[in-house]
Amino acid sequence: MTQPPNSRDRILERIRTATQPALPTPAAVEESYAAIPRAYIRRGQLTPQSRIALLIERLREYEAEVVESTPDALPAAIATLLALSGKQRFVTPPGLPAQWLTPGFTWQIDNGLTHAEIENAEGVLTAAFCAIADSGTIVLHHGPTEGRRVLTLLPDWHLCILRASHVVETLPEYFSRCPQPPSLVTWISGPSATADIEMTRIKGVHGPRFLNIILVHDESVHGEAEATLPEE
Amino acid sequence: MNLHPQLDPTLAPPFPQAALPMLRNPQLRKNVAHATDVIQAKRAKLVAEKTDWQQLRSGASALRAHALENLGFYLEQFETRCTAAGGHVHWASDAAEARQIILDLLRQENATEVIKIKTMTSAEIQLNPFLESAGINVFETDLAELIIQLGEDEPSHIVVPALHVNRSQVREIFARRMGLANLSDDPQILTTAARTHLRHKFLSIPTAISGANFLIAETGSVAVVESEGNGRMCLTLPRTMITLAGIEKVLPRFQDLEVMLQVLARSATGERMNPYTSLWTGVASGVTPGDGPQHFHVVLLDNQRSSILARPTERQTLKCIRCAACINTCPVYRQTGGHAYGSVYPGPIGAILTPQLMQMHHAQSLPYASSLCGACYEVCPVKINIPEVLIDLRAKVTDQEREQPARFFDLMYIGMKMANFIFARPARFHAAQRLARIGLRLFTRRDGWIHSLPSLGAKWTQTRDLCGLPTQTFREWYAGQSKTEAK
Repeated sequence: MTQPPNSRDRILERIRTATQPALPTPAAVEESYAAIPRAYIRRGQLTPQSRIALLIERLREYEAEVVESTPDALPAAIATLLALSGKQRFVTPPGLPAQWLTPGFTWQIDNGLTHAEIENAEGVLTAAFCAIADSGTIVLHHGPTEGRRVLTLLPDWHLCILRASHVVETLPEYFSRCPQPPSLVTWISGPSATADIEMTRIKGVHGPRFLNIILVHDESVHGEAEATLPEE
Repeated sequence: MNLHPQLDPTLAPPFPQAALPMLRNPQLRKNVAHATDVIQAKRAKLVAEKTDWQQLRSGASALRAHALENLGFYLEQFETRCTAAGGHVHWASDAAEARQIILDLLRQENATEVIKIKTMTSAEIQLNPFLESAGINVFETDLAELIIQLGEDEPSHIVVPALHVNRSQVREIFARRMGLANLSDDPQILTTAARTHLRHKFLSIPTAISGANFLIAETGSVAVVESEGNGRMCLTLPRTMITLAGIEKVLPRFQDLEVMLQVLARSATGERMNPYTSLWTGVASGVTPGDGPQHFHVVLLDNQRSSILARPTERQTLKCIRCAACINTCPVYRQTGGHAYGSVYPGPIGAILTPQLMQMHHAQSLPYASSLCGACYEVCPVKINIPEVLIDLRAKVTDQEREQPARFFDLMYIGMKMANFIFARPARFHAAQRLARIGLRLFTRRDGWIHSLPSLGAKWTQTRDLCGLPTQTFREWYAGQSKTEAK
């Protein structure tokens, strides 16, 4: 430790003098926390179809490309998008189904790729933990199908496979369905962007400049009332 | 364009004096007006579409107030959980201590270069000049901060620090500093130039510094909100990460982000959600090994925050989540821009935060840099009653002035003392009215208006005319009426 040993105690002492009671019990803190008003909207009201439509609209507003597909047609949809991108060298996390890695392209699976190898790739294919329709957000918890953070950062072109059953409507719905707080999260709302020069929105600075989504309609035939999120 | 503003509150001139050159700079005023107009319009549109906006504000405000009421509890919890996840937590009482801790950490790493995510807290403690003087090259990676750094300028806004600079000025700075003579002023081209300029630095510099938008007590996690991806680069690629955070940044739980993320982006940039928000926990690498830095340090900065916490009215200052909505809406900021405030925190939030960080020893003119119109309070996503705090701080400044012997030579002080004497008795007030009527007759023109007054009165008549006093006061008229009726 580099700091003089008493700074921590001094700061905490000053805080305790400022706030009363100085040492609240965990139960008292808990009670005060429970009293925080949360009258904002928690549960979405949309039908599953309009929830998906809203997500697609939001993503397109962020200039992300979205196509829809079905579980059976997914490998073909992936192949089509990859071919359209004009790119050849792709990286992927280790947990993706083998049939997603369609033939005709160079695939490097991330079992400890170096930063240079990832930087050298032209694109990346991953799944997502879930998506939030209201804010147009793709959520990565960086599990085996979503990859290390660096994997979806360095390549300029990101293709993300999103299952319709993993789409929730509101931000509070996402949080209430995280069984445990995740230790790593990236919330992605559109490709990298800036408005630092005259507030003109420019797409693409340091993160991937191109975000592509394939939305896979895996809902049951009668439509589920609630999105189900993968367990961690 | 080299304004060379002084953003050290201990050295900056008083606000009215610092504002004058800004008011006389039409280019600067045009740039500031344009940028604040654009953000405000976007914000208004996205806030209007949220039918539960006021409920979100109430939730966010109560959450921040609760975190501050139990700050000691939550900071200790954060420390325990962050440490358990392999992070190192350091405590800094003031700016000097924070700077030294960070320098020592960099020396341990044998660092000669460091990449940085935008952090206003680091500007508050004047970290960059300190590290540079210790021989460490600092590279800002946020586009706006890069413009400021390369232009040898200072930030004028806490979310869009280069908002006072337009595209042709950015072109000039980049062309000169990056050696790109034929650069165009198209923002897309300028942005690409920044990407190219920084790419190699991200991939090669092993040490990074960030701020924090939120510290999560429950998990020991840190959250950073950004747009460009420079944040993700700095959080992911280097070997060592140092996060500087004010002690007030703590939130109780992970789930609390469900409120804060909804109000922050809308208020700050007028977006439903900013492009990237990252959350990480110590050096925990999730499911995949080797994800992110191997060494992680958090420096918790007090720097007078605990004394703000101790004052009941002012405590709400610490609820701030640095969205800058109050800055964008402030009629004073929109005229002067940020540099006039002489602080890295400009606008209404700066006007209340800066003097308190200075223990009221400096920046005493800032609480007066407001018309008290209340627009800042209305847009604040965590409901900080800025006008209330401004008035309270003005009272503190007045109390200080009362202690100074020089007050006996101050016309305002003498005037106020006289007013106090006159208003104390009806007879004195009546006499003063008659005297004023006679005295002001000297200055009243034939059209019934006073166009210029001497001394302190000139402050009024410089920009407006004053109606001459009528021949009779209401009280005189009323007294006359009752006499007539009595007959």
